[in-house]
Parts: sequence; C-alpha cells; structure tokens
Amino acid sequence: MTRVLATLARLLLGGVWLWAGLAKVTDLDASVRAVRAYDLLPEAVVPIVGAALPLVEVLLALLLVAGIFVRPAAIASAVLMAAFVIGIASAWARGLRIDCGCFGSGGLLAADEEPQYGWELIRDGGLLLVALLLAWRPASRFALDGRLAGRAVEDERGRRAVGVGTE
Amino acid sequence: MGAAQRTVNMRKTIGRRGPSGATIAAILVLVLFAGAVGFGVWYAQRSAESAPAPAGTVVGGIVVGDPAARHTIDVYLDFLCPVCRAYEVQSGATLDELVAEGTAKIVYHPIAILDRLSSTQYSTRAAAAAGCAADAGVYPQFAKLLFENQPPEGGPGLPDSRLVELARQAGAPDSIEQCVADGTYRGWVENSTDAASKAGVNGTPTVLVDGQRIPLTDQALRAAVQ
Repeated sequence: MTRVLATLARLLLGGVWLWAGLAKVTDLDASVRAVRAYDLLPEAVVPIVGAALPLVEVLLALLLVAGIFVRPAAIASAVLMAAFVIGIASAWARGLRIDCGCFGSGGLLAADEEPQYGWELIRDGGLLLVALLLAWRPASRFALDGRLAGRAVEDERGRRAVGVGTE
Repeated sequence: MGAAQRTVNMRKTIGRRGPSGATIAAILVLVLFAGAVGFGVWYAQRSAESAPAPAGTVVGGIVVGDPAARHTIDVYLDFLCPVCRAYEVQSGATLDELVAEGTAKIVYHPIAILDRLSSTQYSTRAAAAAGCAADAGVYPQFAKLLFENQPPEGGPGLPDSRLVELARQAGAPDSIEQCVADGTYRGWVENSTDAASKAGVNGTPTVLVDGQRIPLTDQALRAAVQ
C-alpha cells in the first residue's frame, strides 16, 4: 500500500515540477522577474536562480516520473518547496502584491487581481508534505531505481520485491 | 534454495553491477544539475545587448510633454493588459490635459510582461512598434489606437500588418513598416521590461507621480499633481 502511495506521490510531485518547469522555461526573463518580485535575493543572484530554476524543476520531474534517485529527488523537492513556502509567506507578511510566479506568470498581477497567498501556501505546503513523505518511504512501483542498483529494492516490510533471494 | 546457490546469485548480481549503473547515473544526474546552475550563471552574466532606443526616450521610457515640467508621471503599461486600457479610458484625458497645460511630463514605459498571454508575443511586438511610433513622433496617437483596438488576452494579438496600419493612421510615415517588420526596438522593449522589474514594478498599469506610486483613480492622479 505504501508503495502505491509512493508511486502516486512521485507522479504528483513529478507532474507538478514538469508543469511548473515547462511553463517557465520558454520565458526565462519572466522567470527572472518573478524571482526578483519577491525582493528577497540579492540582485547578483536573482538572474542565476531565475534562469536555473525551471531547468532544475524539469530535471526533478524527469527523475521522479522515471523513478531514478527517488529519495534524493524527494529531498531536493522538499527543500525547494520549503523555500517557496518561506518566500510566499514572507511576501504576504510584507504586504507585497505579487503572484507566486510558480507557473510562469512572471510574478506579476494585473491591477484587478488579488494575490492568492493563502491558496498558494496551502498548495505548496501540501506538496512539501508529499515530498517529505516520499523522502521517508521512497520505495514505489514502476521505478527505475531498482534496475539501476542492479538489485531488488526492499520495501518497508523488508521483503525482496524482485530478483535476489527468492527462496 | 541452498547457501551455495545464494552465493552464486549474489556473485551474478555483483558481476552485473560492476563499476556502473547507479554510479554512472548519479554522475550524469549531478552533471545535469551542475549544467542547469551553470546555465543560470551564464544567463545572468550574458552581457545585456546594447539595443537601439527610439528617438526622444529616456531609459525605458518615451517622454511626452515639456521636459522641464514641474511633475513627472511615469506610466508602466502593457498593450495587452485590459486594466491598462481601462486606465487609458479613465485617465487618458486627464494625462493629456496635464501635459497640455505644462503641469507634468509623462514618461510612458511600454513593457512586455504578458507575452505568455498571446501566441505571437503581442506585448513585445506592440511595444516595439510603439518605439517605432515614438521615433516618428506619433507615440501618443499610436498608443491610443492600440488601446482602442486592443486584442483579447489568450489570442494571437494583432498582426504586424495591422500594427503598421494603425501607426500610419496615427500619422507615421510609410517607413514605419520597415521598423515594425525588422523588430528594430524589440531589444529596447526587453531592456525596458528588465529595468521596470528592477525598479520594483510588479504589474501593469503602474503609475508613479514624482517617483511615488499612486492608486489607479483619477482623483489620486489629480491630487498628486496639485
């Protein structure tokens, strides 16, 4: 059961990263502006983060969907989500009027739009939780991890799932 | 299964693993992530192309009115932004009046933040065409026509041929067609959009009077230039 849940977690998290990464990768300048809109990072770092983040998101998506290095990818996802949660909460606390820029909007709001900080925090907080759970129990179905390691992956009950040790 | 068989199985497994699989994949993945970060660094350091700017502009803005006027009004707009159109309808006349009586000069900053909302980067194309119109000295007329003919978000926007038509209607010479077709001021739009972001403009329209952001009402505008 845990393995099924872990599989769903991988697909959910991977799907969100893929969506977020692809939405931003086609307009990196907008991604840079979105990072800048938070007014948290020094200007020297802003373009680096803005340009690299979409690529990192796509890479994480590929790892999670294919099931390669699930635990490290889940930990990296959790770290990123935690950073997003902090960023959004801080923008809210400082009374900024921005969009989170999560899916390529460039962090900008039209004058008639209201910020959606509450919903954005719930969403990213939920995804953070999913990433943490996946990092805790990364064993799942349809993952390439087992194949890569050239051995069976132990599930939570210590059973060998495939290959070695069939008695 | 006996112990011997198990050992053979393990040997087989170990033999198959060799120097390999996971290690190679791990290195590959690390290289990819390093590559992403490296790309970010490269992107950040890439020298900002010095793009040609239209005549009569300051950094990222088209100046309309007496440069020596008492007040400076900065208007940041995106030609695809419906609220920008609404602001033009609401306060366009007031702005014109302030310019006409010499109370204020207006620095228009046509920027492109809504390119994702059209399939043809209409925001960039329209703003670049506005640069062409500024060159020809007909920016205010052209901007009004662009708002009157504003395409909806989510569509293809107006084609370049239509932008040229509107520019001619605004009084631009025929040569404007070349300027629009060449995208002469696309780089300028990119730079002004970047400059706006650095100036803390997080949405359009943003209106500043003497550097102070004001609410988007006509009363606020009039009060700010008292």
